[in-house]
Amino acid sequence: MKNSFDEKILEEANDWIKTNQKVVLATVIQTWGSSPRQTGSRMIVNEKGDFSGSVSGGCVESAVVRECVAIIKEKKLFKKIEFKVSNESAWEVGLACGGEIAVYLEQIN
Amino acid sequence: MQLKTLQEIIKKKENKSEFAIVTNLATGNSEIFEKGKSLSKDFEKFTDQINTFYQSKKNGIIEGTDIFVEIYIRPIKVIIVGAVHIAQYLVNFASSLNFEISVIDPRGYFATEQRFPNMKIINKWPDEAFKEIETDSNTALIALTHDPKIDDPALQHAIKKKFYYIGALGSKKTHENRCERLKKAGFSDKEIKQIHGPIGIKLGGRAAPEIALSIIAQLVSETYKK
Repeated sequence: MKNSFDEKILEEANDWIKTNQKVVLATVIQTWGSSPRQTGSRMIVNEKGDFSGSVSGGCVESAVVRECVAIIKEKKLFKKIEFKVSNESAWEVGLACGGEIAVYLEQIN
Repeated sequence: MQLKTLQEIIKKKENKSEFAIVTNLATGNSEIFEKGKSLSKDFEKFTDQINTFYQSKKNGIIEGTDIFVEIYIRPIKVIIVGAVHIAQYLVNFASSLNFEISVIDPRGYFATEQRFPNMKIINKWPDEAFKEIETDSNTALIALTHDPKIDDPALQHAIKKKFYYIGALGSKKTHENRCERLKKAGFSDKEIKQIHGPIGIKLGGRAAPEIALSIIAQLVSETYKK
């Protein structure tokens, strides 16, 4: 039986909006290989780059935050981004575990 | 996602509904899918595939499309009998898990709102309390009073209703006596063996939060075995 954790991220997003923050919802929509978090995992990011929740085990969160802040600035509504296996020369962003994930970013409007 | 949709999702979660969120990744549109209800034009033609995801309780992108489906399932009901110290820690540990907890205890001084804030507390004997809760094979029971008067009727109800997890606190000796009583009450060995007693996985600790942790670990493990 599937008994997903309820991390209450959407509830937190609603709380952030109530305090006039702009919120982007980042959702893992696809995974390949040994990605750390399942499809449906979420994080939220505001215009200042504060975030809550996760889409990986800490591997790609910094990049997701940057992308989220950027779409708020550019007034975009949504964007899909993919992260592949990291290699040693590009160690900043990538999944050290060897997995790949696709993350969908959408602004709450 | 529109704020209106987000707030509707939160409301549905509060009401323990089962539903899905469908998102068109190419247009950014998203809406709520419920069984038997029709979808807007953006999603209408994918109804059959969305239904398949919904039935299998899987999240994902429908192959060959831009439609992402995320399923929300009803939390599992967990009934705790005995509003004791361990139960307070159990409730805390379970707060980030997808469980819907009810606490039953006929002893008014245990089952108080002050001890269990924001929790469904039923201040009745188990036989009466179970009339107020719908239970089935997706329900779990954690019996914590180790008082036969209170625990036994709850355990009997759980066996009859085929709960997927039944655990009872108490030493090996207490559990042996409990099994004897259930046998006398007409339950088979196979039925009695379903009870996890002494409750919990072996962690080693005997303090209330440690026992609570060992019970939660066993409950989660049994939930995934289903």
